[in-house]
This record gives sequence, C-alpha cells and structure tokens, in this order.
Amino acid sequence: MPKLIIDDITVEVAEGTTVLEAAHAVDIPVPHFCWHPALGKAGACRVCAVKLLDGPVKGIQMSCMLPAQDGMIVSTTDPEAVAMRRQVIEWLMINHPHDCPVCDEGGECQLQDLTVAGGHSIRRYSGKKRTHVNQDLGPYIEHEMNRCIQCYRCVRFYQEFAGGTDLGVMGSAGRVYFGRFNHGQLQSLFSGNLVDICPTGVFTDKTARFRARYWDYEMAPSVCPGCSLGCNITPLARCRELLKIVARRNDTVNGWFICDRGRFAHSEVNDPQRPRRVLVDGVETGFDEALKALLLRIGEVEEAYGTGSIAIVGSPRLALEAALLLPLLAESAAAGALCYFIDEHEAAVTQAAVTVLETSQSASMSDVGQADCIVILESDLREVGPMMLLAVRQAWKHGAPVFLVGKAAPLEQTACVSVEAITLGFIEEVPFGIFEKPVIICGTKRSPVSDIEYLARAEAKLAFIFNGPDSCGAGLLALEHEGIAFRSAVAAGKIKGVISIEADIPEELLAGIPFVAALDWCSTPAVQSAQIVLPTTAWVEMDGTFINNEGRAQRFRKVMDPGLPVKGFDPACHPPHIHRSVPPGGEARPAWQLVAEIISGLSGEEIRTPFSGKWERLRSLDAESPGTLIHEL
Amino acid sequence: MQILKDIYALLIGMWTTWKHIFRRPVTIQYPEEKRQPYPRYRARIVLTRDPEGGERCVACQLCSAACPVDCITMQPAEGEGGRRYAAWFRINFSRCIFCGLCAEACPTLAIQMTPDYELCTRDIMDLLYEKEDLLINGCGKDPVYNFYHHAGIAVTQPRGSGGEELSPVDVRGLMP
Repeated sequence: MPKLIIDDITVEVAEGTTVLEAAHAVDIPVPHFCWHPALGKAGACRVCAVKLLDGPVKGIQMSCMLPAQDGMIVSTTDPEAVAMRRQVIEWLMINHPHDCPVCDEGGECQLQDLTVAGGHSIRRYSGKKRTHVNQDLGPYIEHEMNRCIQCYRCVRFYQEFAGGTDLGVMGSAGRVYFGRFNHGQLQSLFSGNLVDICPTGVFTDKTARFRARYWDYEMAPSVCPGCSLGCNITPLARCRELLKIVARRNDTVNGWFICDRGRFAHSEVNDPQRPRRVLVDGVETGFDEALKALLLRIGEVEEAYGTGSIAIVGSPRLALEAALLLPLLAESAAAGALCYFIDEHEAAVTQAAVTVLETSQSASMSDVGQADCIVILESDLREVGPMMLLAVRQAWKHGAPVFLVGKAAPLEQTACVSVEAITLGFIEEVPFGIFEKPVIICGTKRSPVSDIEYLARAEAKLAFIFNGPDSCGAGLLALEHEGIAFRSAVAAGKIKGVISIEADIPEELLAGIPFVAALDWCSTPAVQSAQIVLPTTAWVEMDGTFINNEGRAQRFRKVMDPGLPVKGFDPACHPPHIHRSVPPGGEARPAWQLVAEIISGLSGEEIRTPFSGKWERLRSLDAESPGTLIHEL
Repeated sequence: MQILKDIYALLIGMWTTWKHIFRRPVTIQYPEEKRQPYPRYRARIVLTRDPEGGERCVACQLCSAACPVDCITMQPAEGEGGRRYAAWFRINFSRCIFCGLCAEACPTLAIQMTPDYELCTRDIMDLLYEKEDLLINGCGKDPVYNFYHHAGIAVTQPRGSGGEELSPVDVRGLMP
C-alpha cells in the first residue's frame, strides 16, 4: 500500500493506483480529458500534469500515467504545473473552432470548462486552423470533427470497451481523424455513449440537436424503463418535452453507460397522441366526475353479472407504487381476477424466477462483468437487455469463456460486441465445476418453467432477463396475492369489466368485454376502447420505484411537469400569450394516486402511502443510492 | 436664540424658491417636445441581421442565461444547411431592466440596444415582444460582422474556406 502526500494531504492507496486516482480519492481535482474512470488512461491529452517535489520520481509528470509510490510528494498547485496545464489547454485550443454558440456541447463541455478554468481567453497563435470533413453517422449521432482534441476516448470506448468495429482512428500527427471508414450509421448497440464520453462536441445527440442548453434542462435521477435491467439514467427535459437521456453512474447496475435503445427510444413520452384528457364515454370531464362515474359503473357491472366479474389488470411496466395497491383495489371492488401479466407463460416463468431470486443468488451486472464463466441461456440479449452484453464483454475481456445454450441464443448477439462464444446444445454440458464465479444469464421469454426450476439448483449465480422494468415487482405481488394471467381469466368467461392500470392488453382479449376503464399514459388498445379514460403521468413526470431483474428496488424522481409540450402546442409560432396555472393536458396524476382514490371511493379507506408492511423500508429509498435488494427487506 | 435660527432657515428656503422662479426650467413639454438620447443609450432591444441579410441570432441562449430578470426566452432550431436559429424568441419588456447584459453576452452581435425608450402601452401583454417584433432589417451598430465566417464550421461557406482555416485534411493521404 503506497503512501504519498498530495498537496499536503497524506493518502494511502492500493497498489497500482495512479497519482490522479489517488488525488481524486481525497477530492483534489486534477484536470483530465483522456483519462476516464471506466476506460482508464491513455496519456494522450497531457492536461493532468502535476509536479513531484520529492520521492522516487521528480519534476513535471502526467498524473494519470504515474503509479502512486511510497514517499511521493505531489503538488497540483505548483506554478510550474499550473503553467504547463495552461499551455496544454492553449495548444488544444489552437485548432478548436470558435463555434461554442452553435455547439450543442456548449455549457456541458469539459474543454470549455477547463479552458475557462485554465485562464486561456485570448488567442495568441495567428496561424490557420486544421479542418476535417464530417461523416453522416446515422440518425442519432452528429459528427463535427473540427472540434476534436485527440483524447482517444471515443475509440477506446467503442473498440475496447464495447467491442465495436466500425469506428476507428485514421491519419497521423495533426491529421488524426476519428470516424468510420465510410459514411453510415454506427453499428454498435452502445454508440450513443460517444455523446457522453466525448469531452468536447465531436459527437453530439442528433435527436436533441439545437434544442436546449444544459442550464435550461429539468433533470432528476431516474431509472430506464426500456427493459428489466434498470439502468440508471438522467432524463433531460425542457418546456414539458423529454429531449434526451444520458447515462447516470451506478457501479452495481450499469456502470457509466447505457444502451442506445434506452437513450434514444423515448418518443412515447412526447407523443401528441398520448391520452391527456379525462374521458367518460368519449366526453371530456373532470377527475372527480370520472371517478364517480367509475364507481357507479363498477357497481352496475357487478349488479348485472354478479360479484367477481371485474378484473384488475396491472403490468410489468407499472411502477411498484401502483402495483402494490392493486390487491387492495381488487379486494375493495370484489374483483374476480387480479392480473399482473397478460400471458400465462410470462406469468408462470416470472413467478418461478422471482421465487429463485428470493434465495439471493441473483447476479448484478457488475457480478456478470467480474464472472469467470458466462452462460447465456435461451435469450437474445440484443433484444431483451443490451447492457447485459456489455457486462458479458467485460467478463470475456478478463478471460471468462462465454457459452450460448439453446436455440433462442444466436451467435450474432455476442459477435456484435466482438466476443467469441461457444455454442452448446444443453446447459448440462457446461463444466461449472472448474469455475469459481460462474453466472447464468437466462431469458424468460422462451425458457420453459422447468428450466427455471433446474437453474435454482445450479451452482452459479443467476441473472434473469424479464419483460418490463417492474416485472420482478409484478411477479412478487402476483405470487403473494395469487394473481392470474389475464388471458386465462378471460378464458374462464366470467370477466365482464376490466380496470386496466397501464396494462398492454391486446385488442382481441377486450373484444367480448362490455366495460373497460383505462388508467394509462400510453395510447394502448385498452385506452382506445375504454368507456372511462383516466390519464396517468409518465415515468418522467412522477416519483416512483422499479424493481429490476436482479431484485433491486430503485427510485426514480420526477423530471418535469405533465402537460402538452410547448413544441406541439402551436407548431406555427411561439407559445401563446395566456396565463394558466396548469398547462393543457397537465391534469394527469400518478397511477397509484388514482388507484388510491378509487379504493377510498369503494371502501372509504384513505391511503397516504403505498408502502406498508414489509415494503415500508422503500419509503425513504434514495434515488441516488445503489438501490435496495428485495430479499434484504 | 433659537427663533433667529428658525427665521434664517425659513429665509433660506424662500430664497431657493424665488431663485428658481426666474430660472429656465430643466423639464420639457414631453411628448410635444422630445430629447435626443445618446447613440449608446440602452433602451428597446432589437435583433439584427448580418451583412448578407441572414439572422445573426443563433439562439445560443447566452442572453437568456445572462439576463438577471429572466425576461428572455427562446427555442433554438436547426435551419437550412445546419444553421442554428431561433424558432421563437421572446423578450418580456415589462420585466426588462435595460441593463444591457444580454447585448454584452451576445457572441454574434445579434442582440443590440437602441435609444428608443418609448415603450409605454395600455395593455401589459403588448410588452411581450416576439421575434417578428424584435428582428430588424439591418446590421445595427456593426455593419460587417458575420459570426459564421469566423466560427470554424461550415454553414455559410464550404468546409475549410472560412477565415483562419486550412482546407480539409485528407485522412487517407500518405504525405507527412
């Protein structure tokens, strides 16, 4: 354990730690471009210069390249080191264009920050700037090579970390170029991370091109609802429009990065077709009238068809808060069926998997990254959880073999992150005995329940991949409250009324049902055919909780107010000159609050918080914490 | 002798009053008569155009960030050839304090202050100026500057042909 002194503070760090990391460990900022916590060092930018006053090495050194050693005395504020860093910034700015006002990175640019911090404000060099021709990198990423400062972060991420093959370095010396060999869309599933990782504006988000500045964004810590992995994200919104999503660090879940689907597939939130009005029989009313009408209709249906003719339907995309209240709603409405899933197979497999997870052999994505053997069972991770592939690649880079088992696990999925996998017919062929930390990644879409039961006895950690962001919570509740799949409830023939709470019920199942009420923010078939529509808030418009595939409950925070985006308001022109306290379409409420109101209308019971009993600990869950595992509750 | 002091004070006051009765007044008969403000007087804000006639404003949002009373709002958008412009641009003059920080922050010399101080209206909503009310057909105080000629990216001219730029690098070339 080397012990060194940095700016008069004694630091003891692990062997192999660099001076830069040691300084960061005691909150001494050292400027850097090429060094990144997830990618390590490159020694390319020269901006992390410090002066070593005494010890085994002396003089100006690059702190990111220098391993910490005993007896080092480091100064980050020495005039010589400060002058060195100032001059490095000045030479990086020699070729950098003068276009900050029209650059999307402006305001969130590391180069801009360090230029200001380094005190470089007047250009002394009178020569001309080198320029490059940009490439069309597809619909998601904008390329502006003139801004490049050659830190090599993009290729180090793209090739080494994410296993992409179509972005690289070309040219030499002052002509170094980062791009594809030809124009075309970037092929990696993780290309969007180039936007986050570029310290200046070479790669920017094309979907949010020229929309807002960093200081205008509304943002909050959040969790991606794209799949069951629960990657941590920060959505950025302005004028009631979700503009873009960036990755948020959580070392146990997604690390520093997110996949492209999580980053770019969020158009549903801004969809102008989103249900935003309270409707009773197609006529717009207020919430109170609609709730009264709903209570009345529930009574009418039960009168006409007998008790037990109402089904309460939740879904894997419904936040845990509302899902927790559904059993109570089913009880107070004397419902015949409480459904968290539509299909029997999904319900059965998810419940079986959740039972296994409760015995705490679940693997987080960081466990997958550190495993010494990976088995991907019956799943195509490109479809169901791309970030898991990135974790698989990290394990493979450390020497772990990757086995693909089953017909539904194609070889192309590992090829897209440049991992060489071994295909096997049966899971019994995997030699688990010779590994210490094996992990089995199991999809639940095509695996039979018997597979899950077999895995429960396997000598390995398990990572299931579910269908939705709160599948795990839905599975737990279905198990606890004897929920059934909606398809089998309808098949039994007794269901004559449905209350769909953010459920994706297919049209054919709703065909024979006389009464449908829908609480939703997506334009689903249930909303289309419902007599009563109550708009709920989308995940960015409320606080909530998702339980991810590992059984980790994570809180997400409200990013923006609900309502029609200013952009969709009046496309011809500017926002109107009127005063309103609530924006149009801004009446939507979180689903759990609406469910609580229905319950209090039916049974008179007032619900202040959805968390009670064993869930009580989740009340104070911090959105910036790594999350809480459910089997620890 | 307090009484003498009080009489003295009264007389001083009366003297000042009588002196001003015979002076020329400093006030003028506004609005019949108008004063000519100095050219750098800070009043109504305008958005100017570059010498080629394009909008100078690139909607970088520095003016709205600099504004101490938050009276400027805008929505940037992408126009032809990747030109950044303001889809809408609003200045709330009922809130503006005419401090000039916006004009100082503007990197493209788009936002400028004029000496037109006559902004009174009967309806406060009339003080909400949109882009069409702000944009003028002229360069304002700088007749030559065009931001895009010096920006270092290609919007108004082909890549590498702006001021202070080399022609684009051939990355596949073998010359050192």
